[in-house]
Amino acid sequence: MPMYQVKPIYRREMEIDLPTCMYKLPNIHSQQGNSCTSEHALQNGEVDPAVKALEARQDEIMKKLYELKAAVEGLAKTVTTPDADLDLTVSSSLSPQSSSSTTFKGTTDLDTLLGKDLGALRDIVINANPAQPPLTLLVLHSLLCQRYRVLSTVHVHSSVASVPPQLLSCLGPRHADSYARHMFQLGFTLIWKDVPKLQMKFSVQNMCPIEGEANVARFLFKLLAPYPSDPALATLVDSWVDTAFFQLAECSAKERAAVLRALNSTLGRSPWLAGPEFSLADIASYCCVLQSGSASSAPANVQRWLKACENLGHFSPAKVLLQ
Amino acid sequence: MALNLTINTSNPPLGALLAAEHVKSSVQVSVEEGKDTQLLVSDSVQFSDSNSICRYLARVAPAVGLYGANMMEQTEVDHWLEFSARRLCGQPGLNITLGELNKALSLRTFLVGHALTLADLSVWAALKGHNEWPIQGESFSHVNRWFSFLSSQVPFTSVGKKYTTKKA
Repeated sequence: MPMYQVKPIYRREMEIDLPTCMYKLPNIHSQQGNSCTSEHALQNGEVDPAVKALEARQDEIMKKLYELKAAVEGLAKTVTTPDADLDLTVSSSLSPQSSSSTTFKGTTDLDTLLGKDLGALRDIVINANPAQPPLTLLVLHSLLCQRYRVLSTVHVHSSVASVPPQLLSCLGPRHADSYARHMFQLGFTLIWKDVPKLQMKFSVQNMCPIEGEANVARFLFKLLAPYPSDPALATLVDSWVDTAFFQLAECSAKERAAVLRALNSTLGRSPWLAGPEFSLADIASYCCVLQSGSASSAPANVQRWLKACENLGHFSPAKVLLQ
Repeated sequence: MALNLTINTSNPPLGALLAAEHVKSSVQVSVEEGKDTQLLVSDSVQFSDSNSICRYLARVAPAVGLYGANMMEQTEVDHWLEFSARRLCGQPGLNITLGELNKALSLRTFLVGHALTLADLSVWAALKGHNEWPIQGESFSHVNRWFSFLSSQVPFTSVGKKYTTKKA
């Protein structure tokens, strides 16, 4: 709506001698003068249709690029799978359509595992030291997210001065502020805190705080898949987890080499550490091998197994932090 | 099925021996003295560290309930197994560790749940074998109560007598 009109202070059709060596452009003054209404439309916060068209075109191009990227990633996964020297059980679990649901068999239901639902969100609170990021737990977290609706949050305790940005975003993007807690099945709250040993607090009325990444990993893994029912196999898994955390991660280079030899001979006999099935033993050992920096010097069977682990696609959260 | 447990006599794995005593009624375990601690399950499977032996024995005899009644109790048992192996065994300076243990036992009869589990066995064994324990232990009343309660019961008395005197 025009309020009042002011006479133009210049003559609209001014004759100017233009040089011919430059591109010709329409006279912007005359255009503006002609369309008084479009000027007002711009003032009201509307966007020039030309800009709109440009934006739409950019969106289209970006969408095409994303599609292309996804296609290339899919192709790359099938190409780099070294299944030529793996046996059948492995390659079947490596095929593209396999997700965690085929890798971890058996239905698990939170109510049967953790007792009846008391109406409140089951919140797993983990205190971890930023000097030793718990890679295993991050991997298990992303697997939990595939299975359950998980509300993940990261906090920094006042005992820690500053935390690198990749640790703050290690559980994925933040949930929108408008989330409703009751929509989630499981809470996963990671607090970066100056603790000597990783701690988990869960169901504090009847459980003592659980110390040690190994024990927390066992707990989280049981939410994903039951341990093997055979006592020897289940104990073997636990024994490998202990070896990974206490010998690979903490001990001297000499002991690390001994563990790598043990890994190598075991992996010569079976595709995964605890027999034919991928298990917590593999997750823990993979993360500890990578964290100790001995991946490149590992013997042949271990190298092959590291590759096989990577092809499952579960370990990207851990790899992001190692870079 | 008979299992064969070989124990190192100079450093007997008390926790594993206690677990073996507790599962005796459902699984046959023969104990032999030798150079290295080892539980022979089959030709290809053997466990040589105390925690693995305890875990295996508890799993072979689920009716005894040494590994807790549900998943959360299992996790607590795992916590205490690591606690006894990493914080008690052979570690000097027991004060802080005993303080934590005392706090955990202040409202409990057994470490996990309402019955005996591997947690009690392994922590008891670690304290029993620790040379600082009798002196340091006096100021931690809850740990003392729990320790003497367990020490007065059957497998604990026999295992304690048989293997700790030998060590000394």
